[in-house]
Amino acid sequence: LKSNQETNERVARFNMSMRRATSLLSGRTQAVTALRELLGAPVAIEEVASSRSVSTLAIKQRMRSVGNIAKITSAMKMVAASKMRSAQSATEKCRGMQEPFLKMLGDLPLAAGEKNVTIPVTTDKGLCGGINTMICKYSRASMQIANPEGEQSMVILGEKGKAQLQRDQADKIVATIADTQKVRLTFPQACSIAEEVLKTEYDVARIVYNRFVSAIAQKPTIATVMSPDALEKEAEAGGGLDRYEIEGPGRAELLQNLAEFNLATSLYTAMLENNCSEQSSRMSAMENSTKNAGEMLGKLTLTYNRTRQASITTELIEIISGATALED
Amino acid sequence: PVPSKVTFNFYLPHEKPYSGAEVDMVLLPAVTGDFGVMPGHVPTAAQLRPGVLTVQEDDSTTKKFFVSSGFAFVHADSTTDVCAIEAFPVEELDKSTVEAGLADYTAKLASASAGGDDYEAAAAQIGVEVYS
Repeated sequence: LKSNQETNERVARFNMSMRRATSLLSGRTQAVTALRELLGAPVAIEEVASSRSVSTLAIKQRMRSVGNIAKITSAMKMVAASKMRSAQSATEKCRGMQEPFLKMLGDLPLAAGEKNVTIPVTTDKGLCGGINTMICKYSRASMQIANPEGEQSMVILGEKGKAQLQRDQADKIVATIADTQKVRLTFPQACSIAEEVLKTEYDVARIVYNRFVSAIAQKPTIATVMSPDALEKEAEAGGGLDRYEIEGPGRAELLQNLAEFNLATSLYTAMLENNCSEQSSRMSAMENSTKNAGEMLGKLTLTYNRTRQASITTELIEIISGATALED
Repeated sequence: PVPSKVTFNFYLPHEKPYSGAEVDMVLLPAVTGDFGVMPGHVPTAAQLRPGVLTVQEDDSTTKKFFVSSGFAFVHADSTTDVCAIEAFPVEELDKSTVEAGLADYTAKLASASAGGDDYEAAAAQIGVEVYS
């Protein structure tokens, strides 16, 4: 047992250190070290600091990773926005090629044929929102609605479409074409893809793609292209083609060239429009992601501060109760 | 009622040289021969051969384009649509290159139809058509 005087001295010393502690934020450590000296224990300041921040360490790591994610998605959004601008101008320029065919032949989504080929146009890369899922849904639906008895096959453009559709439609897939957007799309490229499709000897081809309406709206669209025989049948049934006088080589040859050209143009337009839709969809997806990451970061910051303050309060309570115990 | 001018649309995959332009007459190089489109022309669908397309915008302005190939459609309301793969104003073509190409492909055609296979003969014929 110590004498009263010694205890008083110690309490006085401790009170002095407590006053310093309450006036300075960092005085906390001094208060704790003072108390520890009083009790005769060796002191390591780093020990004190690290034992307090163990609970906040996990949150701090999470905050860092969420912050990085926000930076990455924001950068991706800006890249997609700039790509969309150049894709938009290309899309507007190519839209003209489709119009004459639509004017002359009309749009016949329910055209029936023995052999049907569906051509979903999807993206190779992900993180672009829900456009690929929409295309796959529409492709499945169109295969069931338009002429379900006929023979159905698929030529898929894009890796994402292949991944989704090969799970349940694997028997119908004839070919998959990927990496179409690695270099800028040209008409001859569309022509070579058209040749692949022509190998299926279809009667009716349906191209399912996202039409670029605006930066926030992309509409899934189905473009129907018919083979020469199907065109002939439609013409006889009173379609638009009959009104036109055919100049050039024999009617059959012209119809065949016309149908092939129609397919190539439709594919070209579809791919350009889908590319533009991909960029705009990615832009809005990344913007949402950045916003969500920012919100999450805000909430984590609040939790972090609360945890930090709670641990400081706990320490102060320990110190104060220790001091009161000494006084008694 | 016959409109006074032809509404001319000229579409390429990568641009639209004419879109909704009002012109007097358009001369098209079809596979069967050249034909002109004036207001009131019967609706026609024609396949184009590589050749020169002439647009007479009004009495004084005429523009010529070399088109690679494509299709031309004349609709009932005298709207003419031309879809071509490539087209250039003829001023941009270099005469000497064109003549050299013509000679080259004429020779190839002669050798190919003599002993070569059909594909080469067809390719050479396309070359001759393009360059002449």
